[in-house]
Amino acid sequence: MSGSMARPSPEQLLTLLKSRRVCRSFTEEPVSDDDLRMMTEAARWATSAGNRHIHKFLVVRDPAVIHNVRTVSPGMLTAPPALIVILTDLEAAARESLQLEHDHANWMDVGTAAMNMMNMAHALSLGSCPVTSFSRSGAAVMLDLPPHLIPEWLLIVGHPAPAPRPRRLGANAPKPVAARDLTWWEQPGRHEP
Amino acid sequence: MTSSEGDSPQMVLTEDQAFGLLAFLVCSAEISLVEPTYYGTFRLVDAASRLMGFMLEHDPERSHEFLERFKEEVDTKKVWMMWDREAYYDFLRSAPAAVAAEVKRREETASPAAGDDQA
Repeated sequence: MSGSMARPSPEQLLTLLKSRRVCRSFTEEPVSDDDLRMMTEAARWATSAGNRHIHKFLVVRDPAVIHNVRTVSPGMLTAPPALIVILTDLEAAARESLQLEHDHANWMDVGTAAMNMMNMAHALSLGSCPVTSFSRSGAAVMLDLPPHLIPEWLLIVGHPAPAPRPRRLGANAPKPVAARDLTWWEQPGRHEP
Repeated sequence: MTSSEGDSPQMVLTEDQAFGLLAFLVCSAEISLVEPTYYGTFRLVDAASRLMGFMLEHDPERSHEFLERFKEEVDTKKVWMMWDREAYYDFLRSAPAAVAAEVKRREETASPAAGDDQA
């Protein structure tokens, strides 16, 4: 990487990462093609095991198609203005001699592409929400996918609607998780260096 | 689709809405094979919410008020699953009584002429 490349400061990047939340309520304002291109550009630059790029990103804006996909996606709690589907291309995987049934890197690559898109959406002042609770076979029909394209993951995107009133947590609600809770130093269970 | 009882059978679901619910239910059944077990409860109450939404579109005269109120409660409390699971479970335990009371109220306020076996 070029040393002269402009980069966000660590503080700026952390602020972006920490302020992102899933968004399940959108206005009717369409998402611009430029914004969607920025998101798929971010996905392209996600880590890809072996630099093999076996995933495709299908952008869907047609409300009728989105409605149909939602019909087979119980986890899609709202109809968004736009949808990006991460697909595994089985033909590309075959060219790379991948054994997908044993290859966990496939899922990691889906995750890193998804995360890049969500962070880019946030940077663009868009809201997004991942959807994993959908029927793969049902979505394939609704999206007219050929057999070699497997829908792995959906990202709903739109301009955030005004936030609902803050939720009141009960006494039994889980406490917020800090990085410290998840991080060990040198040995499992040791929280601070 | 119409209600099968009562003195004024009323459309409560169009064919398209019924198919939408059908797809939701069978897809929920499939994904429940791989998701955390408690997600299944969420799918069922979410399906109930969608059903009530469809019913409300047909302005059900006898239960509009109940459906409107109960749907709002379901939509508010179903998402507690994500951050306050005990409160969510408490809601699940309380919800059937609310529906049962409405079913009973409907029976008690139905016209005597509505029952097939009542002359």
